[in-house]
Amino acid sequence: MIEFKDFSFKYKNGEKNALSGINLKINRGDFVGVIGNSGAGKSTFTYAVNGVIPHHFEGDFYGEVIVNGKDTVESSPSELALSVGSVFQDIDGQMVASVVEDELLFGLENFGVPHQEIEKRISDILKMVGIEELRHRNISTLSGGQKQKVAISAVVALMPDILVLDEPTAELDPQSSQQIFGMLRMLNEKMGITVIVVEQKIMLLSEFSKRLLIFNEGSIFLEGSPQEVLKDTSKLLEIGVNCPRVASLANCLTDRKLYEGRVPVNIEEAEAMVGSIIKVNCQGQ
Amino acid sequence: MKGMLEYSQGDTVIHKLNPLSKMIMAFLLCLSSFVSSYILMAVCIIAINLTIASMAGIAKKALSLLKTLLKIGIVLFLLQIFFIRTGNMILDLPFGLFITDVGLEFSVLLVLRLAGATMPLVLMLTVTKMSDLTNVFVQKLHIPYKYTFAFITALRFIPIFENEMNGIIEAQTARGVQFDTRNPIKKMKLVLPLCVPLLISSVKRIEGSAISAELRGFNIRKKNSGYKQYRFYLKDYLIMLLAVVTLAACLFIA
Repeated sequence: MIEFKDFSFKYKNGEKNALSGINLKINRGDFVGVIGNSGAGKSTFTYAVNGVIPHHFEGDFYGEVIVNGKDTVESSPSELALSVGSVFQDIDGQMVASVVEDELLFGLENFGVPHQEIEKRISDILKMVGIEELRHRNISTLSGGQKQKVAISAVVALMPDILVLDEPTAELDPQSSQQIFGMLRMLNEKMGITVIVVEQKIMLLSEFSKRLLIFNEGSIFLEGSPQEVLKDTSKLLEIGVNCPRVASLANCLTDRKLYEGRVPVNIEEAEAMVGSIIKVNCQGQ
Repeated sequence: MKGMLEYSQGDTVIHKLNPLSKMIMAFLLCLSSFVSSYILMAVCIIAINLTIASMAGIAKKALSLLKTLLKIGIVLFLLQIFFIRTGNMILDLPFGLFITDVGLEFSVLLVLRLAGATMPLVLMLTVTKMSDLTNVFVQKLHIPYKYTFAFITALRFIPIFENEMNGIIEAQTARGVQFDTRNPIKKMKLVLPLCVPLLISSVKRIEGSAISAELRGFNIRKKNSGYKQYRFYLKDYLIMLLAVVTLAACLFIA
């Protein structure tokens, strides 16, 4: 579905490669979480998928990026946009209209979706995301979480195969962040959309994504399922990525030979883990 | 005046008119106000404005607008009244100033004209969604979508930049810059350098906005892409007829 072959990129006025030597395959239906320090190349990675690189930002482009069988260099951004939907960090900046309905219409109109189909698409997506009541609201009166939901709906209404999100919860409180990720999971499971999400909150990523990519200084440092990636707390700390506390706890317990098994990714799993350890070790007393 | 141009939601006949007919009506009323040559006529036009506003359920807004306009009018009135020296003197003042009957009539008319001409345009914008207005411009007047999009984006960014500016000012106040000074010149001097960070962050934002619009197919939009259709109904023709009659009346009675 998405394939990076020896991909490297250097921005026009950049001193060194923003990304280098990326080899990666992402399959249909995957939910990929991307994390890493600032300057690690996460945003550049998303730009490479949605074609902003090389079409919008100039620079030295090496290797190949194939999205849905198309080379991103050879296809135009609008062409790529048909299969890749993008959501950005700047919530207000990415809006184009002042009313929710118009925001959704913008993409649908542009891509020439037949007019008789538009109404159905809008009502379906609003219903699925659970923001039907916001349809005629002015965007400036919405909360951050609601705005981000609108932004995601506007992109999903175009029925992309892939959804790329660059820190969609950066400006949101924990509860809204959780909601946004729940919504992404739903889109991933129900509509089979491949989700690639860059995020700083590792707890969220480890709970929701099927696959984690950890970037460090322009290359992929670790890669695998959250359980695999989170096994080594110290290795993650080395590059400045904080392990979720539940994973740190599990790693600690594993080091002391108290626990062996999968690393928990949320509070419930951690509770079960601690419960089982207490049960086993306190049985004699 | 704050929030004057904001869209006020509603479901009245006026709200449901075609945006273009609202625009034409506002424009004709504005013209009528300018060509009106009697005080009574100008008052009539203001009354028509108020009637339409109350039909749209925004009478309160219209009255407060009228009040503001009349306040501005007082300054204009005072400036005007001493400059007209023809006609019969009705009040003699020191420093060689005097007021004549012609001057009084003309000044009052001027203020009323100003109010009558400003009201329809402002009121039209409060009962019309900006997006409807630009859509109809693209569809009926064949103005390129690029221009209307630029216009609507500029309007949309004003409050965003306002927010950003407030953020910068707050950040600087927290670091001890005295923005709360009473001296306006001093304040001006403090605010001006802030334009640089504001400009930088705006350019960044706009770039993001452009990318986002492009990735949603802005460049492949065609002329007939617009989904919402704007037809003219009987009420549209009626309201336009009313506006034409008003203008004609103003022209001929003069």
